[in-house]
Amino acid sequence: MPDPDARPRLPSILVASDGHHPVHAPPDLDAGVLVRDTDLATLVHRAASDCPPQAVDIDSVAGLGSDDYAVDFVTGRLAIPIVLTRRPQLAARAAARGNIGLLHVFAYDSTGLRRSLEGHPRSGAVGSVVTPGLVILHLREDELSAIPRPILAYGLIDEVEDARACLAVADAIVVRPGLAAKLAAELVGAGATV
Amino acid sequence: MSYVPPDAAVFIERVAADPCCAAITGEEGLDEALESRAPVIFILRGNGLTLAPLVRQVHAANKLVAVHVDLVGGLRADRASVEWLAGAGVDAVISSHGQLMPAIRHGGMTAIHRLLLVRRSQLDTALAAIGRSAPNIVEILPGVLLPSVVGMMPRFDVPVLAGGFVRTEAEVHAILSAGALGVTTSSQALWGTMSA
Repeated sequence: MPDPDARPRLPSILVASDGHHPVHAPPDLDAGVLVRDTDLATLVHRAASDCPPQAVDIDSVAGLGSDDYAVDFVTGRLAIPIVLTRRPQLAARAAARGNIGLLHVFAYDSTGLRRSLEGHPRSGAVGSVVTPGLVILHLREDELSAIPRPILAYGLIDEVEDARACLAVADAIVVRPGLAAKLAAELVGAGATV
Repeated sequence: MSYVPPDAAVFIERVAADPCCAAITGEEGLDEALESRAPVIFILRGNGLTLAPLVRQVHAANKLVAVHVDLVGGLRADRASVEWLAGAGVDAVISSHGQLMPAIRHGGMTAIHRLLLVRRSQLDTALAAIGRSAPNIVEILPGVLLPSVVGMMPRFDVPVLAGGFVRTEAEVHAILSAGALGVTTSSQALWGTMSA
């Protein structure tokens, strides 16, 4: 049984990358790199590089299966501790291995959100990826509290103000490298860290 | 005599005149929707195999009915189910499957292509699909985000509806100001409240 205290933590900001070019999270931010929309060879190459990702959207990796073998490979051999997936059993598998499993929760409308949550394992270590992330600013308190944490807001967060607002509600957000750089510059200017 | 749905232009005129459309899940909320000023009732769930009586009720209230073929139960989203909905007297069909748009139009109904806003990197693909499918209307979800993302999108050649997490008059105003034809909402207090 993995030690819960040894579980990796979710950084506040994940910088999205397709893995084809090295992306470094700004050192002033509590940030890591999320690889998505890539292929297996690129993921393996990036994991072995000097800027390995902290997270992977496992369903968006061409060539990689959607099963326990894939989760074990990503979290074990590639040492990527945070797994995003649409499949509840894969999120649960990642969590059971002492990592962070985040299940995509689709929030296009209130009925869809409820249905999406019906399949959530709701075990302690499986959190949620709210898609699209920007919509988290429009959820009611009861809707938010129904979403298992940690919550990663992912999608359409393109402005500094939106990023800040989403971070006040979610545990973490996904941004593009350009926005991460802006956030870092702003924080350095303010003498603070996130 | 079998029912003939109105032309898409008429459907669009009805929405333009009363931009807050009622979104219901099957029979839940039907009575309230029928009593409201909402010009169109969007059926997003329920049993797609037993819709005809419900559709007749909607028409009897001088309203139009749109059905989401991907989401109602009992139907697979394909050409045969589109024909089935045409036979039930449906006025418009919503789907995320662009390839169904020609079949919907061929059935004399208004074709509504649903665009799910996922993330920016996937927007181009979705927009290209809409370009190919040539719907009569595009519906954007979550609609409440339309004012935030309108700058990312090209101008559509067809009217836009916005649905999803639209709950206040202020949100409706913002969405209409962003260029939408109307909204679809399950918030009953908004149904038919923005009559032109």
